Amino acid sequence: MNIKIIDSWLREYLETPAKQDIIAKKLSLTSVSVDRTEKIGNETIYDIEVTTNRPDLMSIRGIAQEASAVLPVEGITAKYIGKTAPLVTQPDISFPIEIVNDPELVNRIMAVIMEVEIGPSPKEISNRLELSGIRNLNNVIDVTNYVMREIGHPCHVFDYDLLNTKKMIIRKSKEGEELTTLDGKKYRLAGGDIVADNGRGEIIDLLGIMGTANSVVQDNTKRILFFLDNNNPKLIRQTSMNLGIRTEAAIINEKGIDPELMEEAFRRGVELYKQIAKGKVVTKTLDIYPNKSKTHNIKVDLEKINSLIGVEIPVKKSEEILTSLGFEVKKTGNSLDVKVPTIRASEVLIPEDIIEEIARVYGYHKLPSIVPGFNSNKTIAYENEFFFEERIKNALKYWGFTEANTYSLISEDMFDGPIDSAVKLKNPLTNDMEYMRNSLIPGLLKVIEENKSRDSVRIFELSNVYHKRTNDLPEEKMMLSGAIKRTGVSFYEIKGVIEQLLTDLGIQNYKFKEKGEPGADIFIGSDRLGYIEILNANLIDFELSFEIILKHATLKKIYKPIAKFPPLFEDITFVLGEGIKTEDVTEEIKLQSFLIREVSLKDQYENAKTFHIIYQAEDRNLTNIEIVEIREGIIKAISEKFEASVK
Amino acid sequence: MEDELIRIKNNAISMILDTNDPKELEEIKLQFLGRNGKLTAAMKKLPKINPSMRKEVGILANEVKETIEDAIKDKTHETKTLHTKANTKKIDVTNPGIKPPLGHLHPITQAISEISSIFERIGFTRVRYPEVEWDWYSFGALNFPEGHPARDDWETFFIDTKPSAKYGPMLLTPHTSSGQIREMENNKPPIRMLNIAKTFRRQSDVSHTPVFHQFETLFVAEKASITDLKGVLDYFTKAYFGHDRESRIRPYHFEFTEPSFEVDVSCGICKGKGCKLCKEGWLEMGGAGMVHPNVLKNAGIDPTKYSGFASGWGVERVLMMKEGLEIDDLRLLYSNKLDFLEQF
Repeated sequence: MNIKIIDSWLREYLETPAKQDIIAKKLSLTSVSVDRTEKIGNETIYDIEVTTNRPDLMSIRGIAQEASAVLPVEGITAKYIGKTAPLVTQPDISFPIEIVNDPELVNRIMAVIMEVEIGPSPKEISNRLELSGIRNLNNVIDVTNYVMREIGHPCHVFDYDLLNTKKMIIRKSKEGEELTTLDGKKYRLAGGDIVADNGRGEIIDLLGIMGTANSVVQDNTKRILFFLDNNNPKLIRQTSMNLGIRTEAAIINEKGIDPELMEEAFRRGVELYKQIAKGKVVTKTLDIYPNKSKTHNIKVDLEKINSLIGVEIPVKKSEEILTSLGFEVKKTGNSLDVKVPTIRASEVLIPEDIIEEIARVYGYHKLPSIVPGFNSNKTIAYENEFFFEERIKNALKYWGFTEANTYSLISEDMFDGPIDSAVKLKNPLTNDMEYMRNSLIPGLLKVIEENKSRDSVRIFELSNVYHKRTNDLPEEKMMLSGAIKRTGVSFYEIKGVIEQLLTDLGIQNYKFKEKGEPGADIFIGSDRLGYIEILNANLIDFELSFEIILKHATLKKIYKPIAKFPPLFEDITFVLGEGIKTEDVTEEIKLQSFLIREVSLKDQYENAKTFHIIYQAEDRNLTNIEIVEIREGIIKAISEKFEASVK
Repeated sequence: MEDELIRIKNNAISMILDTNDPKELEEIKLQFLGRNGKLTAAMKKLPKINPSMRKEVGILANEVKETIEDAIKDKTHETKTLHTKANTKKIDVTNPGIKPPLGHLHPITQAISEISSIFERIGFTRVRYPEVEWDWYSFGALNFPEGHPARDDWETFFIDTKPSAKYGPMLLTPHTSSGQIREMENNKPPIRMLNIAKTFRRQSDVSHTPVFHQFETLFVAEKASITDLKGVLDYFTKAYFGHDRESRIRPYHFEFTEPSFEVDVSCGICKGKGCKLCKEGWLEMGGAGMVHPNVLKNAGIDPTKYSGFASGWGVERVLMMKEGLEIDDLRLLYSNKLDFLEQF
């Protein structure tokens, strides 16, 4: 969460000779990140990112206190000079509204009735609000915003006469209740929101988030109810996100702030009403405070401080730093006993939190950078899944494929199979990202579709798909998928890519088998590796299981002594019947002699297939006479088995 | 005799195939077919053999002679054209070459492999853990309190299924930090993990994509310290972005680390002086911190004995920072437009 802090305003709480750029730099290194400093006229504005654990820094007061602690460590004098506004006078008129609080909803309420004169704020205040990014409206409303920015506790103001009630019940909203916020927008509540009810069932405030139109300060407001509430942060977050109302008050309140801070804000508010709206306190102050802020002590081992930071920090330095941040420190034996200020009590809980305070203010930039020595009890094989992943991707790249990276989230129509079997999101961002994919193919086809100006596309992806399991996380399986689009693309082109890929991965015993639809099923041994799918004359895709690839992939090579005697080659052409598989023929040829080293399809014209046969013996030169015998055997076998004739 | 003839043939053929030199071919011809050549010598023995076999051997000898002559003729022709072409044909060196195919790896993949090799050099081993996770691994064990904003429906994707009694709701992990718990459950310190994975968050705008990638380091050892973390971050910064770049850590807040840091890298454009592209000379890179003792405990590691550090950054972010890519809409990275991918 970002906050704009005005330099001149800050200096009302901080006394330091440090220039703006120094303050910005030092704060960034040791406390909060000053994203930007901007000069407008005579003013410098710090744009500060406050982390969600430090809502106490969402104010001039908070930043001034931090700066007064961190600047001196860098050798710059700095002193916190904020003063709490005077006590609020208590006239002899009791507070006229009976407020029924629910301690589970609200930690503390402070309220008072004041007479005011409404009008524009003085220039100084309206300027500061504007430079802080806050809209200024009139003096009565401006005070609430001014106090929130200065002290850090949100406040609210009602038109007391418009409110016109003797009773205010703080309760949870019921589902379906409606209200109109002060900016005129209508909302229907989901239930469980913290609201104030005037005892007649009418909602008069959406606590901690925004006021309602029926009680808002008017141009002619005479009497106000100045009202501060400190609420249950979880409920505030829920309501604010549900309704989409992200006011600064809501953003601060949902983080939770110390109710102790309320008093300072309350007094400052009353003081400002007196100063700029001729405000006059007309009733006693109401203070309902069921959930007092608590604090605690933390014991920190001195040795632990040094070992976690990595260098030795002098004990005195640690004590100084903590004290300047508002902690109370006592050294006992080998440890520090640290009392946490209430404003930090919700987030400083363990010794490491204290060590963080010491280390950051000491300065992370003063610590050395040392790569820790190698020390591991785990040895990782070189050829692991990541090795093969990279090898496969590179192979495909050098064969002209481009890698796509599609979302794992898909629409219903991109799911392959009955949608009931899909892993479904409960809260999808959009309809086209409602399910987890179970195949990469639909995504790749979409990519091809979206690049339709290209006549020729070769793409692939190696990524997870997800399969639903009962009572367990889905099964995540890496798939290697690809597609080629080109006029007249051949099945053999994709098949060749897969064959070559498997060969490069040391896999030999693969088989392509016919499947019901155009394409092929692919097996390694008895494991189904995946498939090739011919979608049309110009589009073919494939999907392979990376898991099965990994199971068989190896870099191991088997060395066979290089043949001493040269091979002999021969081509035989058979005219084969329809439907006779090349592989069946080559297998049959191989069976004819152990001197046949290799058989491959060399050429094909209609039904005539030419086989290239390599003969080789390990121990001698083969003679033509031997070859003639084998050749005759081959011709006989093939002719008989497949009713083929030699051409 | 037959064997000798076959040997002569094979010998001659392999020599002929091996050469591209016309002079050498001439010599081979002499060696086999010349007056004192090997084949000529063998043929001279013909009359001495058994008459019953003489005819058959004679045919074979002639076959061998023809084969060798043909091979020499073919080769002579081949070498001639080879030489003429090389010597005489004009080439236009500005014509396009005949290129082997070349595709492109996705820039994210390229970044991941760079990141992996850098961390590998200092002993970090890459792992892979579930993308669809239980609340426990993504939030609970990482010390996120109940009701933390990240755990609500606005920020994290949840799976439409029954929650686990033990691990809570099922979700798409919004960060690679879930891998910290998985890693520590499965391994004893010392641990040096690098977890790179897809992560998911419920937002999509010019600077966010609902699916993105993170890389997470986890180091757990006795007395692991902030100076160790700084060492590793600095090593990565210099190795990935360049030796003249520096890193720094600033206070920040995360639920699962204590202390927590925001890591900056000095701006490569202005070299740390401050310019339009950076914040006062620095660019934000991502988060890091010392592993929160509750996280160690939740993963079964004794926080009184061990400490650790972790960092988790966006792959997209470091990629854009390194390449100085000025992509005005991050979603372009996942558009799968070939016009984009082919630039990498």
